[in-house]
This record gives sequence, structure tokens and C-alpha cells, in this order.
Amino acid sequence: MNHLLSFSSSLQGYLAVGAILFALGIFCVLTRKNAIGILLGIELILNAAGINFVAFSKFRTGLIDGQIVALFIMLIAAAEAAVALAVILRFYRLKQTIDADEASILRN
Amino acid sequence: MAQQALLIALFPLIAFVIQSLIGKKLPRHGDFISVLAILGSLVVATPIFMKLITEGHVFDSFQVTWMSLRGAEAGRLNSAVTIVIGVLINNLTAIMLLMVTLCAFLIHLFSVGYMHGEERYHLFFAYISLFSAAMLGLVLSDNLLTFFICWELMGLCSYLLIGFYYKKPSAINASIKAFMTTRVGDTLFFMGIAGLYYIYGTSNFMSIYKAIELGTGHGVTILGYPALAFIGFMVLMGTIGKSAQFPLHVWLPDAMEGPTPVSALIHAATMVAAGVFLLIRMFPLLEAAHVVLPVVAYVGAITAFLAALIAIVQVDIKKVLAYSTISQLGYMVMGVGVGAFSAGFMHLITHACFKACLFLCSGSVIHSVHTQDMREMGGLKSKMPITFATMFIATLAISGVPGFSGFVSKDRILGGALAYSMEHQGHYLIPFLGFATAGITAFYMFRMIYMTFFGHARDEHKHHHAHEQPFTMTIPLMVLAALSFAIVFAGPTGIESIDHVMPVKWFDHALEGVQVEMGIAEHLSPEAEAVHHKAHGLALIISLAVAGLGIFLSSITYLKHLLSAEKFKRMAGPLYNLVWNKYFFDEFYLGIFIKKGLLNFNQMLATFDDKVVDRIFVDGWRDIAMVTKNVIGKFDDLVVDRLMVDGTADVMSGGGWVLRQFQTGKVQQYLVLTVMVIIVALFFANLGLK
Repeated sequence: MNHLLSFSSSLQGYLAVGAILFALGIFCVLTRKNAIGILLGIELILNAAGINFVAFSKFRTGLIDGQIVALFIMLIAAAEAAVALAVILRFYRLKQTIDADEASILRN
Repeated sequence: MAQQALLIALFPLIAFVIQSLIGKKLPRHGDFISVLAILGSLVVATPIFMKLITEGHVFDSFQVTWMSLRGAEAGRLNSAVTIVIGVLINNLTAIMLLMVTLCAFLIHLFSVGYMHGEERYHLFFAYISLFSAAMLGLVLSDNLLTFFICWELMGLCSYLLIGFYYKKPSAINASIKAFMTTRVGDTLFFMGIAGLYYIYGTSNFMSIYKAIELGTGHGVTILGYPALAFIGFMVLMGTIGKSAQFPLHVWLPDAMEGPTPVSALIHAATMVAAGVFLLIRMFPLLEAAHVVLPVVAYVGAITAFLAALIAIVQVDIKKVLAYSTISQLGYMVMGVGVGAFSAGFMHLITHACFKACLFLCSGSVIHSVHTQDMREMGGLKSKMPITFATMFIATLAISGVPGFSGFVSKDRILGGALAYSMEHQGHYLIPFLGFATAGITAFYMFRMIYMTFFGHARDEHKHHHAHEQPFTMTIPLMVLAALSFAIVFAGPTGIESIDHVMPVKWFDHALEGVQVEMGIAEHLSPEAEAVHHKAHGLALIISLAVAGLGIFLSSITYLKHLLSAEKFKRMAGPLYNLVWNKYFFDEFYLGIFIKKGLLNFNQMLATFDDKVVDRIFVDGWRDIAMVTKNVIGKFDDLVVDRLMVDGTADVMSGGGWVLRQFQTGKVQQYLVLTVMVIIVALFFANLGLK
């Protein structure tokens, strides 16, 4: 318990959470057929990056700029989700599906 | 002086170049160029001769190095040879130059009239210009190498000129015969020159004279023979070929197929004289070789006699002169052979003048009556007075009538021959043949005159059309006839015992100078002097007697018709047959050498050419080319086209296909790749950090 506590209050603990979150995000992005699922995976990856920023700013620099970047990431993720959802909506209108594999018009 | 003398040979050479290149386009087909060129040579040659007359001696020379050759190590005496060529002007050269340029000039002048309107008129002048240039170059040469080059050039020109009427098969055959026959002698002569380089390392005349005077070269052998004798015989073979001596005399009569001025040029003044001139130039060597001179004498004597006999039975006016030329050349060679060196040279000069005159006169007659057969002539004396007079003078000269040039030179040769036989017991045949020839010469020459100019016209039509020639043709005749008088060369009569009171003997003085130069000046003992004096006295009487007898017999046979030539012909029978067929020399050569040897050899060469050269080399080359073509074609097709050109395209399209496989259009696959690349990149980056 003590060991776990010390782990949770150390840099490595945060980084481990970030890495797990990042891996889950990647996994989600690569395996989902559904475009919205992929979008969710991207959100996970972004937040994994945000955790890393906050962790490094807290344990290494002691400055606040890392946390500000995390806030920026959240902001951009929100904007990105809005744009992506709009794209998905248009795509659904076109193909009657949101399967990402169907988005291959540019190929041929 | 020697440098300027080079112009003498250069003028006609330039004329040859001009004539052969642009002669056809020039006005009058450029004949004036050749005539002016040889006149220029005459103008340059005259002062040299005048210097000889006034000072009694000329000598000048200059040399340039032609090439240096590193010799073979095997050469025992000379490992390296430097070939130096140059010009030698001495008394001999001065006399020869004037004789050749003068005769050649007159013959050129005569040709303008004689060849008028002929086809290839400009080429004729080109050829005789080259001919004159070659002869003059030969006379000017101070070494045997350039001598030989000019010698061969004359062979070429004689070939071109004898075959000038190239549409006549007989002319073509004659030209080939002349060329091939002289080639035999020329080849051997060249071996002689090679021998000279072998023993002395030079072919310069003055160096040879010096070497012989010092006695070097004795004891050296070539091919197992004494070197000097070897060279001497080879030089003699050159002379035999070029001067139409027995047994290579067969080409000269056939050479009469050429235009008559050419006959005059080749057979009087230039080419055949070159052979005798060679003997005279090389006389010290022949003398040093000992064994050569008697052979020379016999060759000359036999030639003189045999040719003179043939001349009796000829009916073609030019053939008579041709055989008389051979006969007279035999005299010259005999003269050199018996050591009457200056007499031989004198006969060369006097003969050149009167024989040129005779040939040109015969040309004049032929041009007038359009036949060469004397049986169709006759009675031309009144129709062609100038031709008759000049030809008669020249005939008197050749027959050895006192007061004419031929008498002086011939008498001296005969005297020399007689003296030789007195000194060397057992050589009686030489003077005997000489005197017999003298009588026969007088006989056939007068026979020719009588048949041509005297009696009644045997062909009325031809006689009617006969006419005297224009001045360009008669002036050369008159000049040459004037040179046939003894006074030009010796005292008024030419008989030594009379003329010693008034010495005009420029010729003898000049020749004495030459003998000193050559190192063969005669120092006769009183006894030998007495023998010579006696021999010359005796020779004078005998030669006068035989010449008189010849003329007398000729007169009663052909002028008065007291004796019938036909009866003699029948009486002589087989002998006549033998002589008429020229001793079957042509048949002999044709049968033995040409048919048996040369023809078979030719056939062998032709077979070789056909089977080996054509089949193997020419066709084989084609085969090789075909195979090569196929190989190269295949290479081009397979390697260049398929592999390189198409291969590049294939690589590109294949590469494109491979790359295209990644472009699936599936976002997630791209992402997988991206992640994998990043993982790999990080892995390696991590390695790098460690």
C-alpha cells in the first residue's frame, strides 16, 4: 500500500497512467470501424498527452506552463471533436454509413 | 651551280604536273608548257656545258640527308645507314645534260607537229615531260638510289608512251612486254644497289670511286660470290634490261608501237642511253671486279652483231631503226667492256644525235605517206628533200663514213676492241663481231635509204600524197643532222692522225677529267701505247673498208639492182628464216618462261586469289561480319532494349505497384503503419542514445 502510494505520488505513476491511456487510445483508433469510435480514441490519446504535460510540470520544472498546455489540449480536443463530428455528419449524408473504411473515394 | 642544275629536272616535272592536271583545258591543250619547260632546262644546261668548254672542267655537288636508318645488328660491315642524296655535276653530267635537253627539246618541238590532232594530245606531252624529267634527274643524281628512282620512272613512262595508242592491242602488249622485260633487269640492278650499301654503306658515286681507289671491298662476299663481281654483274643486268642488250633485247623492237617521237626519245636520247650511262658511271667498280668487263664486252659484241643481222631483213622502217639502236647500244656496251670508256660515252652522245635524227626523219616519212612498210615507199627524195638530206647525213654518220660523228666514236670503239684483243689473247671474237657489225650497219642503213627515197614509187597513191613537213618538224631534223658531223665532237675529219694538228678536242679533254675523277686515268706503258696506236691505225683501215664494202653491196643490190635480194634470200634459206624470226627469242621466252613458268604461276596466283583470298578472306570476312552483326543485334535486342530500356520501365512500374499496395485508402492502416514506423524509429533512437 505504501509502495502503491509512493508510486501514485511519483512521476512514474502519472507517466504509467498516461502510457496506458495512450495505448488504449491507439488501440481504440486502430480497431474501431466506427468513425465516432476512432474519434473517441483520439480523445484518449490527447488526454494521455495532457496527463504527461501536467506530470512533467509538477515533478520536473515546478512551473505552471505544462498545466496551461494541458488546458490548451482540452480546448483543441473540443474544437477537433466539433469539426470531426461535422465531417462525420456530412459523410453519413453521403454514404448512409459512418464506417471509416468506406471513406476511400480519393483512392481511385 | 648544282642547286640551279636541279631546275633542269624540275622544269619538265612541273610541266608534267600542270599538263596532267589542267592540260586539257589549256589553249592548244598545253603543248607550249612542255616545250617551254624543256627549253628552260636547255637554257639552264647550256651555261654548265659552256663552262666545261671554256674551262675544260666542271665539278660541283651538293647533298642533303634523306633519311637515317638504324641498321640491323646482323649487318657485319655497316650497322646503320644514312641515305644521302644529292646532285653531282661533272664533265659527264654536263655533256649528258646538254645532249638530253637538246634532243628532248627538238623531239618536243617535232611532236607538236607530229601529234597534232591526236586523241589525248595533252597527256602525250605530260608523259614526255615526265620522261625528260626522269632522264635529267637520273643524269643529275650523285647516287644510285635516286638514279634508280628516275630509272624506274622512265620505265613507267616508257610503258605509258609505248601503250599510248591504247586502242591497239599490239601497242598494249608491247607496253607490257617492255615493262616486264626491263623489270627483270631492274630487280637485279636493285639487288646490286643493296650490295653496294652492304659493302660500302653508300651509293654515292664519288664515295664509291674513292672506296675503290683505296681498295676496300675486296675479299667481301655476297651470297658466296665476291662482292664487287656480284654488284658488277647486277649493274650489268640493269643495263642489259634497260639498254636492250642480249638476251633481254626483245622489248625494244616491239616498243616501236609507240608514237615515233617517243621512239626517238626512248630509243635515242634517253632511256636506253641510261643503261649505258649507268655502266659508264660505275666503270671503276666494273674494272675493279675484273671478271665483269669481258662479259660486258661479249654481251655488247653479240648484241651488236645479232641485232644488225635482224635489221637487214626488216621491212618496217621503224623496226630497222629499232634493231640498229640495239646494235649501236651493243657497240657502246662493248666499248665500255673493252675499256674504251670514253669512246663508249662518245658513241652514246653521237648516237643520240644521229639516231634521234633518224627516228624523227622516219616519223616525218611515216607522217607523210601513212605507212611504215618500206616496200610501199620509194622515190620520196624529190618529194621530201629536207627529210631526205637530213636522214642521209644521219645515215652517213651511223654507217661510219669519215667526217661524220658516228665514224669517230665507232672507230674509237673498234680500235679499243682491237687493242683489247691484242693485249688479251683469245678475245678475237669481240673485234671480229665489231667489224662485221660495222659492215652490216652500213649495208642495212643504205638499204633503208634506197628503199625509202630512191627508185620509183612503189605505191603511186601514197607517193602522190607525200609532202614535206612544216618547219616545226624539219628544224629539229636539221639541227640534229648538223650535230651528226664529226667536227662537233672532234677535229674536222675525226681521223686522229690527221686531226692532231688542229686540236678541237673538247670532248677528249672533258673525258680525261672524268677519268681522273674516277681514279681510272690511263697510264699506258710505251709498249701498250704502241699496241694501242697500231690497233687504232689498223681499226681505222678495217672499219673504212667494211663500211665501204657494206655501202657498195647495198648500192648494187638496192640502187642498181645488179644483185637480187630475193635470190640471196632463197640462197640463205634456213638462215634467213632464223634471222627473220629474230632467232626465235620471242617464241623461246613465250614458250619457256611465259607459258611454262609465268602463266602457271599466274594461274596458281589466280587460284590462290579465288580460293583463298576471295573465299576465305573476302567471303570469310563477310561471314565474320554476319556473325558479329547477329551477336550485336542480339545484344542490342536483349541487353540494351529488354534489360536496360524495358527493365528500367519494369522496375519503375513494379516499384509503383509495390508502393501502391500501401495506399489502401483505409485510414486505420495508415495509422498502423505510422505507429509501427514510430515504434521502430524510437527503438533505433533509443539504441543511438545508449
